[in-house]
Amino acid sequence: MSLTRFLRHRATTPPTPQEATPPVLELVDIAKHYPASPPIKALDGVSLTVHPGELVGIVGASGSGKSTLLNIIGTLDRPTAGHAYIEGTAVAELSDADRSGLRAARIGFVFQQFHLLESSTAVSNVSNGLLYQGVPRKQRTRLAIDALERVGLGHRVDHRAAKLSGGERQRVAIARAIVADPAIVLADEPTGNLDSHTSADILTLLGDLNADGTTILIITHDQDLASAFPRRVTVNDGRIIDDHQTQFPTLIPAATQ
Amino acid sequence: MTSIPATATQHPHVEMQRPRSKLRAADAIATGTHGLRSRKGRTLLTAIGISIGIASMIAVLGISASSKADLIAQIDRLGTNLLHVQAGNDLFGDAAQLPPESPTMVRRIGPVDQASSVSALDTDVRRNKYVEDNNGLDVFAAETHLYSTLEASLAHGRFLDSQTSTIPTVVLGAVAAQRLGINNLQGAPVVDIGGRNFAVIGILNTLTLNPDIDRAVLIGNDAAETFLGAEIVPTAIYLRANPEHIEAVRDVLPPTVNPADPNEVTVSRPSDALEARAEVDKNLQNLLLGLGAVALIVGGVGIANVMVISVLERRGEIGLRRALGATRTHIATQFILESATLATLGGIIGTILGAAVTYTYATQQNWRIDIPIEALALGITAALALGALAGLYPATRAAHLDPAEAVRPTT
Repeated sequence: MSLTRFLRHRATTPPTPQEATPPVLELVDIAKHYPASPPIKALDGVSLTVHPGELVGIVGASGSGKSTLLNIIGTLDRPTAGHAYIEGTAVAELSDADRSGLRAARIGFVFQQFHLLESSTAVSNVSNGLLYQGVPRKQRTRLAIDALERVGLGHRVDHRAAKLSGGERQRVAIARAIVADPAIVLADEPTGNLDSHTSADILTLLGDLNADGTTILIITHDQDLASAFPRRVTVNDGRIIDDHQTQFPTLIPAATQ
Repeated sequence: MTSIPATATQHPHVEMQRPRSKLRAADAIATGTHGLRSRKGRTLLTAIGISIGIASMIAVLGISASSKADLIAQIDRLGTNLLHVQAGNDLFGDAAQLPPESPTMVRRIGPVDQASSVSALDTDVRRNKYVEDNNGLDVFAAETHLYSTLEASLAHGRFLDSQTSTIPTVVLGAVAAQRLGINNLQGAPVVDIGGRNFAVIGILNTLTLNPDIDRAVLIGNDAAETFLGAEIVPTAIYLRANPEHIEAVRDVLPPTVNPADPNEVTVSRPSDALEARAEVDKNLQNLLLGLGAVALIVGGVGIANVMVISVLERRGEIGLRRALGATRTHIATQFILESATLATLGGIIGTILGAAVTYTYATQQNWRIDIPIEALALGITAALALGALAGLYPATRAAHLDPAEAVRPTT
């Protein structure tokens, strides 16, 4: 399903808010200050709730605090103040090991620079998404092949990461993020290193995955790109200045045209 | 009487299902060697560093063990039951003499199997009468059974017997023959002793335990008296005794040989000198082992260095693994395993290298090859331990990398 078709699909069947189930993500008054004089306020009183099945674009200029926000959501970083909940679990109370466990099982990451192990095959890279859950190797490989097929790379299973094109590499990274069937996929500038055509393909893929029920949060500095998402959260100077829900998104990123 | 535990009254504790990070042992090993497998050239070069240390230590241990095994085999072959009795110095520091009847007295000691005396003669041996130099050789009047007492063997000809002892014949020690330039008995060689020609009838093989005989020419007692006008006074006695009583024999020898002045008698066991040689080797061995250890430590520092660089280079990978759910312990384990594997690889290469060096050297020296199995095990274990130690610091650094920092784009 292309992004265009996906957006039309979303337009006709708006997501049913699942208020009964706990939000995938809940941020309450999150602040992140770095010691300096005066203190640098990377985040200052950010509250955000994301429900299962949502596709959220977080948009902001470079230095707006959106990466810090993503790291806190991904439990890679701890806030200075405020509370973060992943599926109702208070992250602040978790030890480093427990947060690692949470990441292993419930959070998928997609990075701008893919972060693939270059000398490993596509399937081995994807199966690493299950490595730290103690899933046996055979099962990991089977699930990894499934995930690669989902992202349209069923024919590239045994290719080394170094031999793949940029778009293919990001597909491998996405397969790795979804292989463990996480509660939320966090994508940090997933198209930042790709040309416009490949970017459109990747966005379409993310849209398709979301249509199948995966909760996805995409960070971007690209306003046009963000406007294509059903929900767009704008961050500036460490604060959320706009949280815009489009039931019927009509804007299609220029890249896809 | 039973007491009810406090928890028995409490509600059953409902544990919230919390996802846990776990890494299977096989996966931990695969993860720990991934870095090495993907950088084969660097892995090999780093491993070579440590292998040099291990190889030198194995070679030192192997070569000295082989040399010692050879010495011990030699000692076993020659026997440790040979004693050498010699007149020492008297109270005034002058050379003392053994009483003429001392060989007979020695033979009466129970555990003594055989004894044979020699008398150093105050004369020179030369290749012929025109040569001034005596080559630093001794002339000994010897009893015919000296041959069996020393368990000597002949390179050429025969030893003195009851016949040849009475006529001007001579048997040469191995060194004496060499210095006199007589390599065989072709052309019936003669030597000049005290201005008279003596026919060479035999040349002895080297006597490892009796270098003094190697440097001597031996003539019969009767011949010495008849042709050189010498007075036969024993200056040394060689004897073989029952090995179990060797110490007791050693103790009673001085008073038996010279009851009047037992202090003027020196008793030695020539095989002690060989054993001492084995011991002397130990000092050198320790020195070389020390050098090997230094090489090993340098190799270890090299590994630590490469691992620190590796951690810096692989920030992204570390960040990714943390994002994928690796705990700090998983990351630390990965790098310690990597370092230990690297060092063990070096240890294995070094062990093979060290064994090869030992084999080559021992073969060249015609030694029995003896590479202590403990040395091999120790080499690999030492490498493993050193690798783990060297990996400790880089692993700690890797484990404490801020994951948010580590995944950040570096461009």
